[in-house]
Amino acid sequence: MLENVEVPEGMNKEVLEHLMYPHNYGKLENPSAVGVAVDNVTGEYVIMYLELNKEQITDVRFATNGCQDTVVVGSMFTDMILTQKTSYAQKAVEKIYEKLGSSMSEKQRVCADMVFTAFMAALKNYENLQNGKTEEAHILNMKESCETKEQENE
Amino acid sequence: MNNELYKKKHELWLQILFASFAIDDEAIKSKLYDFSQIEFRHMKWVAQAILQNGAEYNYDRDMILYKRKSVFEVLRPLKESILQLIALYGDTPLYERMHSDESYFVEYIDMLLADEKNDNPVEAFNMQNRLKSLDTASQMSLTMFLFEESYKEYELILVYAYMQNRTQSVMEYDVFQDLIDESHFHLKSFCNMMAKLGILALPRELHERTYKIEDLKKFIQDGIAEEEAAKEMCRELSSSIEDEELSKFFDFINNQESYHIELMKRLLDA
Repeated sequence: MLENVEVPEGMNKEVLEHLMYPHNYGKLENPSAVGVAVDNVTGEYVIMYLELNKEQITDVRFATNGCQDTVVVGSMFTDMILTQKTSYAQKAVEKIYEKLGSSMSEKQRVCADMVFTAFMAALKNYENLQNGKTEEAHILNMKESCETKEQENE
Repeated sequence: MNNELYKKKHELWLQILFASFAIDDEAIKSKLYDFSQIEFRHMKWVAQAILQNGAEYNYDRDMILYKRKSVFEVLRPLKESILQLIALYGDTPLYERMHSDESYFVEYIDMLLADEKNDNPVEAFNMQNRLKSLDTASQMSLTMFLFEESYKEYELILVYAYMQNRTQSVMEYDVFQDLIDESHFHLKSFCNMMAKLGILALPRELHERTYKIEDLKKFIQDGIAEEEAAKEMCRELSSSIEDEELSKFFDFINNQESYHIELMKRLLDA
C-alpha cells in the first residue's frame, strides 16, 4: 500500500502502514473463542476474537484501548496467524521478536506480550468451551504492566 | 430512532470532520468543521432519544477513510452520504431539524462543486511532510505522538459523551461537557497537523469495553495518569522540536492538560 511513498527517514514503512490502517481490527460477530489480556495497573486491555475450524484459524480480529505499539504488534501478529494452525502462533511470536526485537524497548515488549496473552486466553476459552464450560471470554491478567516498565526505565 | 441510525450519524460526523481536516482551503475547512460540530450535536440528541425509548446504542462503525487526492473527490461522496442519511428520516421535530441542517450542508457542497476553482489537490494522505522545519528525529517523535493522541482524543470524546448521556448529576454533566469540548479542540489540532504531515488517518474504532465503564473512579484515576503522560510527551516534544511555533503550541497543550486533571479531580470528589 505504501510502496511508492516516502516515509520519514528511520521510520519503518511497514510499521507506518500498520499505524495508519491496522489490519484485522474490530470484532467477530460469532467467534469460536474470545480472549482478553488486561493490565490492571493502567486499565489497558487487548481482546482477541478467533474463528476456528479445528486447529485452523479461519478469521481473527483484535481490539485494544492501549498504545500504538500494541496496535502495531496486534496488526502484525493477526496478519501472521490468519489461515494458519494455532500451533503456528508460537512461531509467529518468535518471528515478531526477531523482526522487532533489537529495536523494542521494555515497555514495547510488555505491549507485545499483552497481544500474545490475549491470543493464549482465546485458546483457553476455546478449550473451556470444548469441555462444556460456559464462558463468554477467558480473561488473563498481565503479570507486568507497561507503566511499571516505563518507570523502571526512567 | 435506533442504533442503526446512530451508527450512520456517527459515521457521517467522522466523514465531515475528516473532510474538514483533509482540505487545506481555510474557508471550506472552517465551514465543514462547523458542520461536523452540528452533526455531533445531532448524535447527542439521537442518543438521548434512543435511551428515552429504553433502547441502547453503541460506537460500532463501518467506514474507511479513503485516500482522496482532490477536494471534489472528498466532497462528492460526502454529499452522497448526507443524502442517503436524509432519506432515512421520519417526521419528528428532531428529524426535521437534522433534515434542515443537512439540506443546508448539501446546498453548500453543491455551491463548492459548481466552481472548478475549488477543486484543489488534497495532500493530507500523500505522506509528504509539509512541516519542512522539522528534522528527522522531531518528525518521528511528532508522528508517534499524533497517532497516539488523535486516538486518545477521539476515545475521550466518545467515552465522556457516553457517560454524559447517562449521568443524573448536573455537576458531572457539566464537567463531561467541558472535557468533550476540550478534546474536540485537541483532536482538531492534532489531525490538522497530521494532514500537514500527509499522514491523516481515522482513529481506530472503540470496543465496548472501552466506553461501558463499570468503575468510574478507576476510569478517572487511569485518565489522570494518561493526562500526566500526555503532559510529559508535550514537554518532551516542546523541548526537542526546534520549530518555535510548534514548540509553543505543545507548551499550550501541556498547560491545558493541567486543567483537565483538575476537572477530572472534581469527578473524583463528587
